[in-house]
Amino acid sequence: MITLDPAETFRQEAADLLDVLEQSLLDLEKRPGDADLVSSAFRALHTLKGSGAMFGFTAVSAFIHDFETAFDQVRKGEAAASPALIAAALQAKDHVAALIADEASADPDAGTAILAALARAIAAPAAADWLVTFRLPDNALELGTNPKLLLDEMHSLGACEILERSEPAAPVGDIDPDFLHLAWVVRLDGAVDQAAIEDVFLFIRDDMSLAIERTGGAAKSGGGEETAPAVAAPAAAARREPEAESAAAAPKDKAATLRVPAERLDELMDRVGELVIAQARLSQIAASRHDPALVGVAEDIERLTASLRDTTMGTRMVPIGTLFGRFRRLVHDLSDGLSKEVVLVTAGEETELDKTVIEQLADPLVHLIRNAMDHGIERSEAREACGKAGKATLRLSAAHRGAEVAITIADDGAGLDTARIRAKAEANGLIAPGTPLSESEIHRLIFEPGFSTAQAVTSLSGRGVGMDVVKRTIEGLRGSIDLASEPGHGTEVTLRLPLTLAIIDGLLVRVGSGRYTIPLAAVEECIELPRNADAMRGRSFLDVRGDLVPFMRLRDLFHADGEADAYQKVVVVSSGQMRVGLVVDQIIGNNQTVIKQLSRLHSGIKTFSGATILGDGTVALILDVMNLVGFGQKLEERRRETALGRAA
Amino acid sequence: MTKTILMVDDSPSVRQVVGLTLKSAGYHVLEAADGAEALSKALANKVHAVVTDLNMPVMDGLTFIRKYRAAPASSGVPIVFLTTESNAAIKEQAKQAGATGWMVKPFQPEQLLAVVRKVAGA
Amino acid sequence: MQALTIRLQDEIFALEATSVREILDPVPITRVPNAADFVGGLINVRGTVVPLADLRVVFGMDRPPMDKDTRIVVVEFDLDGEPMTAGILADRVHEVTEIEADAREAVPAVGMRWPPAFVRSIGKRDDGFIIIPDMQRIFRDEGVVAATTERQNP
Repeated sequence: MITLDPAETFRQEAADLLDVLEQSLLDLEKRPGDADLVSSAFRALHTLKGSGAMFGFTAVSAFIHDFETAFDQVRKGEAAASPALIAAALQAKDHVAALIADEASADPDAGTAILAALARAIAAPAAADWLVTFRLPDNALELGTNPKLLLDEMHSLGACEILERSEPAAPVGDIDPDFLHLAWVVRLDGAVDQAAIEDVFLFIRDDMSLAIERTGGAAKSGGGEETAPAVAAPAAAARREPEAESAAAAPKDKAATLRVPAERLDELMDRVGELVIAQARLSQIAASRHDPALVGVAEDIERLTASLRDTTMGTRMVPIGTLFGRFRRLVHDLSDGLSKEVVLVTAGEETELDKTVIEQLADPLVHLIRNAMDHGIERSEAREACGKAGKATLRLSAAHRGAEVAITIADDGAGLDTARIRAKAEANGLIAPGTPLSESEIHRLIFEPGFSTAQAVTSLSGRGVGMDVVKRTIEGLRGSIDLASEPGHGTEVTLRLPLTLAIIDGLLVRVGSGRYTIPLAAVEECIELPRNADAMRGRSFLDVRGDLVPFMRLRDLFHADGEADAYQKVVVVSSGQMRVGLVVDQIIGNNQTVIKQLSRLHSGIKTFSGATILGDGTVALILDVMNLVGFGQKLEERRRETALGRAA
Repeated sequence: MTKTILMVDDSPSVRQVVGLTLKSAGYHVLEAADGAEALSKALANKVHAVVTDLNMPVMDGLTFIRKYRAAPASSGVPIVFLTTESNAAIKEQAKQAGATGWMVKPFQPEQLLAVVRKVAGA
Repeated sequence: MQALTIRLQDEIFALEATSVREILDPVPITRVPNAADFVGGLINVRGTVVPLADLRVVFGMDRPPMDKDTRIVVVEFDLDGEPMTAGILADRVHEVTEIEADAREAVPAVGMRWPPAFVRSIGKRDDGFIIIPDMQRIFRDEGVVAATTERQNP
């Protein structure tokens, strides 16, 4: 029985509330007229104040009281949620967090200064700009509507900035970065005539949702008020759509969740793991006894175990959106600190990862975002000089792909400067001048320890030493990093991580006298190796319905003993975009695989990602598909080189 | 990049005036006198926008728009049709067939230029 | 110290009794392809996958196949702040015995059959010598080699 310290209970509750407050404030900056967001922020403050007082956090409670008073005016519509107000509010949120962490050490002067800033922000007259929210139908592009032209037209009307764009949740590689944004929120100079804005959408008005409203909540603007009600009706209906999207991305209903200590979940996972192993033994025994009643029960238990396994593993899975949410504040602050205009776009927030992996990803992702914003993205003037939009886009996305999760950080900045990277590497002695290196090899030099191309070391991203730490962390998770860059257009960093589920579906195979498991999610298909494959010297490629797939004989790789089976089987597996055929003696069948970590002593063996215990009690190694596919590629490249060498 | 506009109208004088206006504005112009000729030219060339009358011999505008939209090449190409204001039903039909925008007849050539700029860019 | 004495080929070795978890009869050993000989196998110890360490490799001895006397001694000790569990293959297991502190001699720098680095001390018993291996050193050094080695097929 765990007795909770009441102060600790408050702290945990406060952490959640402060999160809600921060997200509401960040959202409010983009949708200043959204009354729901104001209420949400206000509720969080109110609850914090009450609980704080109850648990003895008097300084916190007192500060929030003043914060609340200032915010009340926004709630009543007497003040607009201007950027200055939001900035002050975010600082106030930080101060509250500091007070909760350690009331004694928090600086009371800082608190007074923040409250003063809040008061100033509220007193300042809010510039009543237009807020245009619109969504195009899916077939708009096909039928010739060009969103870029629409946005250009709005630009021509007056000062205009895109506050938000929404991406459909589709695999990252398939999205054309220029065109598939179908919903926008745009802030437009208040001096523009409303009719002119509507004119932009003249041809498509009937098929789209469009809302034009003043910023600052209650409309206290001058002209255009008569038309406001007319716009309001379709606007209200139209608002539903962009709001529905944000609601979907918002955290799940809090009332239906429960706090559970992590150790309990780990224990539960261990028990389920043992259950799976015992169940496998039971199935094996049942099969050998030829007792139909026993077999029947064993099958039932197998089914129930699989279901229990899935549910239990689900408890440890956390959507990556929780991490993305944290980054919004980071990008917001960095954007201010660096004086660069950056829009953060996210996709795939619902992609789930094991909680321990999420925790370990936080730091690497922060490094990558900092790098992109600090070194990759240019200042608006520089961007516009090259014909790019003044506001840069930073895109964070996540998606499941087979047995992997792909997390991408992409920016439309200047891309990697190959020449400068090379020069720096040579200057630091990482490579000898004149060494022939491909462009991708030069790019990968940024992961070497002690490397930095920053002309000025900024306090925000340090010396870029983060990159080698990022690589090590990802490799520690048995993942890999891919880099893609186009000079002038941007850089894309993709982290590929194997799903580290504790129990997976595996395909059991035999190579020689040893048995191995292949994660089923990575398996594409199983085929037979053609007899004449042996006869093809120097070429180990299979024709799989027109595609050439390289294959590797695991018998050779593992130095298997005994005679090879007459008919070799090929298990075609994929990792990222690459496929490889693994040639084995026999495909035994599916099994539920409980993953056991390999000892430190075997940490250097990359071809295996872990081990499992089979129904008969023996140990079987689990193949690391990502590594084998990479290994296969290397062998192929080497073979090609020697073949070329021979030919030359 | 010079954009190509396909102008479809059975009246030679309309084609001439519009053609001149668009060419002076920097567009490359292809002409067709009926829906059939329009379809073959639209499929044989890279076209950035189509402006078409509806009432034409051989193949009328609506049929041309429908057939053109059925071809993958038409994806992303804006189609502006010419209509007399009183005919709201035809407007609906044309949109159903796949038209993007419309121009009300009679029009000043500069008005058409504004519409072409709007849907196709400069 | 209290120690479990085991036989490896012609020699008697002593393992600290506090580190011994259990003694198993021979169980099926799963070969780890391309692993270093020292840790070439894995065994299942009541649901846990444990590496099998063959000290005979470290001490340059012959390694005949297992027979009816072979046992696997599962040990657990601290290695660089983290627990290390491994199964030690023994040609024969003798007994738990007390090795007097003063009966232990320092390891001569020369004149020994085996790498002096891997021997912590030598105990004397009526009929002969008992080697007390330096498990930390062995697992760290050999372990490092094993961990960074994966034999590739060119």
